[in-house]
Amino acid sequence: MASTVATDGKEHRNGEEGADGEPPVEPPPARRLTWRIRLRRDKSLILMTLPAVALLVVFNYLPMVGTLTAFQYYDPLDGVRHSEWAGLDNFRQLFGDPLFWHALENTLYISAVQLVLFFPIPILLALLLNSVLNQRIRSVIQAITFLPHFYSWVLVVTLFQQMIGGAGLLNQFLRQHDMGTWDFMTNPHTFVLLVTSQVVWKDAGWGIIVFLAALSAIDQNLYEAAAADGAGRWRRMWHITLPGMRGIIVLMLVLRLGNALSVGFEQMLIQRFAVGHDAADVLDTFAYYYGIGTQNYSYGAAAGIFKSVISLLLIWGANTLAHRFGEDGLYRK
Amino acid sequence: MSSELNRRTFVTGAAAVAGTAALAPLLSACGGGGSKSHGGTNSKAGSAAALPAYVPSSAVHPDVASTSGAHDALTDPGFVTYPANPAKSVTEVPGAGGHYTAITPLWATVPAPGNAFYEAMNKALGATLTMKPGNGNTYNTTIPTLTAARKLPDWVQLPGWWNPLFKVGELAGTQLADLTPYLAGDKIKKYPNLAAQPTGAWQAGMWQDKLYGIPTFASGFALPGQYYYRGDVFASKGINAADVKSADDLVSLGKELTSAKAGVWAFDDVWQYTDQIFGYAQKFTISGGKLMHKYEQPEFIEALNWCYKLAKSGLMHPDALAGNNNDAKTRFFAGKVLITADGQGAWNEADAQSGIAADKNYRRASLTPFSADGKATPQLFMNPSAGMFSYLNAKLKPAQIEECLRIANYLAAPFGTAEYTLVNFGVEGVHYTRGTNGPTPTKAGQAQVQAQTFPFLATGVNVVNNPDFPQLTQDRCAWNSEAAKYAYKPVFWNMNITVPSRFATADAAQAVEDTIKDVYHGIKPVSAFQDALSTWKGSGGGDRLVAWYQSTVLDKFGSGQ
Repeated sequence: MASTVATDGKEHRNGEEGADGEPPVEPPPARRLTWRIRLRRDKSLILMTLPAVALLVVFNYLPMVGTLTAFQYYDPLDGVRHSEWAGLDNFRQLFGDPLFWHALENTLYISAVQLVLFFPIPILLALLLNSVLNQRIRSVIQAITFLPHFYSWVLVVTLFQQMIGGAGLLNQFLRQHDMGTWDFMTNPHTFVLLVTSQVVWKDAGWGIIVFLAALSAIDQNLYEAAAADGAGRWRRMWHITLPGMRGIIVLMLVLRLGNALSVGFEQMLIQRFAVGHDAADVLDTFAYYYGIGTQNYSYGAAAGIFKSVISLLLIWGANTLAHRFGEDGLYRK
Repeated sequence: MSSELNRRTFVTGAAAVAGTAALAPLLSACGGGGSKSHGGTNSKAGSAAALPAYVPSSAVHPDVASTSGAHDALTDPGFVTYPANPAKSVTEVPGAGGHYTAITPLWATVPAPGNAFYEAMNKALGATLTMKPGNGNTYNTTIPTLTAARKLPDWVQLPGWWNPLFKVGELAGTQLADLTPYLAGDKIKKYPNLAAQPTGAWQAGMWQDKLYGIPTFASGFALPGQYYYRGDVFASKGINAADVKSADDLVSLGKELTSAKAGVWAFDDVWQYTDQIFGYAQKFTISGGKLMHKYEQPEFIEALNWCYKLAKSGLMHPDALAGNNNDAKTRFFAGKVLITADGQGAWNEADAQSGIAADKNYRRASLTPFSADGKATPQLFMNPSAGMFSYLNAKLKPAQIEECLRIANYLAAPFGTAEYTLVNFGVEGVHYTRGTNGPTPTKAGQAQVQAQTFPFLATGVNVVNNPDFPQLTQDRCAWNSEAAKYAYKPVFWNMNITVPSRFATADAAQAVEDTIKDVYHGIKPVSAFQDALSTWKGSGGGDRLVAWYQSTVLDKFGSGQ
């Protein structure tokens, strides 16, 4: 994802330097850069993006035709072509469904908590790691924090269960010493914290990568100059490191907001019966259980479309906000 | 033999746990919508005309004969040993040189195509049957793509628990062949091994009064499941399981068995078969000619309340409360849980082997049925007489269908015959050697034969057989013949009902089922169930669903009992 965004930015820059940079001096040549000329100029770049575009078309754009099912009473045997049309009925049902609103509420709540409790952690970790000077120790720490990202959710939840579950290591120890038990895995009230701590455990290390890359791009001379001017550790972080990372932090925040309505499908699915559907149902599991689970595909598709539209609005809003603060966001304005 | 039954119950259980949904307001808006009502229900008179004659087989004599229970229940016969000289039940080569492709689910490693076993089978069948086993875990996604593209193979296995998903009611007659002209009444006598399938099994494979499904693993006494306990642990503690005569007895026993400090809890999830204790219906009950959903039975709430208290009592394993059902067997094997609910097929040789690997004293035993108050008669509803069916493609010509039916007749040879031995163990010397307890698979046999392939197209009726554990066979047969006394046919037994899609959501009642799960896990009180129920009845379309069952099914076609 990050790489696509980077190419995007670059292409824009290329395109605009020719068009934007020169017009005040010499307007006519800019106009002469017709798409044909630009095509010839960028043809190797375009060729390189073609496979990616083809993949996108086949796996992302063509299946979008399937969203038509949200406006039908879809029957797989009749296919999209012969299924009965429902108009907006599925959406009408969706908006009148208290379980749907509850799932949306859960989604937003979990997302907000994760934004506050999870999002800053990779940044802090990256800053900490960056201050470790020994290259070897740094790679070891990075490898260790990064590994859990490759575990499946089933494995992560099992590990949590084994450690702090009702019959897990911790509770068995407490029980044997008559200290009562700590019910964290099956408590619906603290479920959001459980989910967030699992995300931190699994993905914080992975999140570091992009921030470390941003840190390495900061000019070391700045630090030396600042140190020479008598700036301490904190001032250097405040005036050099953080501004240097700001662009990437904003970009990650925009992407994160765009994904705000996806808060982990498998993670919820696996733990749904432990805490009950009230605590664990989010939009994705709602579409699964109440749409696909009852072969009511159209209803699931309607919930899916709703989610996509809101996500699109969120990403657009966050991006606009980023531009207003003078950042690049997803692309340079 | 029993291991695939084990998987069957596992899959049914998993489907019940994983899937199914329902919700209230969907229906109100659905009104006139939903797709046309394809498929449908069988009438008593219509299906009677199509049903094949029943001629039991006498090819092999069991060591423990079947016993009859209440309401036509007939227990599976037991074979303590494998018959020494397998008899032949099919005299002619069934095939006429035809070429057919078959797709069946497989919950094991797929054998290499064209292997020696397949070749031996084709030779014996006199036809080329190309087996294409599909991954059982994703079979529910494989079949819909084939049906949507109208590309079903010549012969296909469609497990009954996926009937609504695969829309078998719609496929019957359009993509699946009507077998009535070939098998109805005495016509089936041309295929003696198929004629030995119990009538109920054919009935369970009927759609719109016509025969479509060829039953596999048919049984005259199929239960959804039962309660098990660790026989060895009970014996070592001097507990007599027969003393459990009521729900209260079970709880007091649970208190005696639980020792949380030692990591031992009495119960795993036990909600599943509480209908056997409390006596609520499978889905519907009829009082005064009117259908009543089980949710509205007082017995149902009583059972739910009992389970809620159990969840709060500290007698249930915490992982079971956390909804982790995948490790239920492991907990039972390890003795962390001593009483559990599981399918009928869980009680077999493979289970004994796995259990003994974890604990050398391991012995699974089953609680004798009892009722909640200890006074009423326990009520055990029977599942359809067959749960899995194979179907022939509607494109096949009559001569081809007849050839396939002759092949099915071969595959349906009773347990212990020469044909059964070939289908299940392969060729002697190549795929198995004959040990003291019957055929022992060789390495080649394990790779090519031990994975279930042909039996998913047709089998003889179920038997109980555990060659290395003769006592297990005896125990299970004894339990079955005791339990069969309490058997009954639930409302709409062996009837295939195609519920219109506008009722699908209400029928699955996901919101209610979710709440039920919350209650028996102790997360929500019973009042939450009552709230969910009243929503379901009203805006959830539950009342209209029951009315539909009443007027469209019960009043027209009867209860199937």
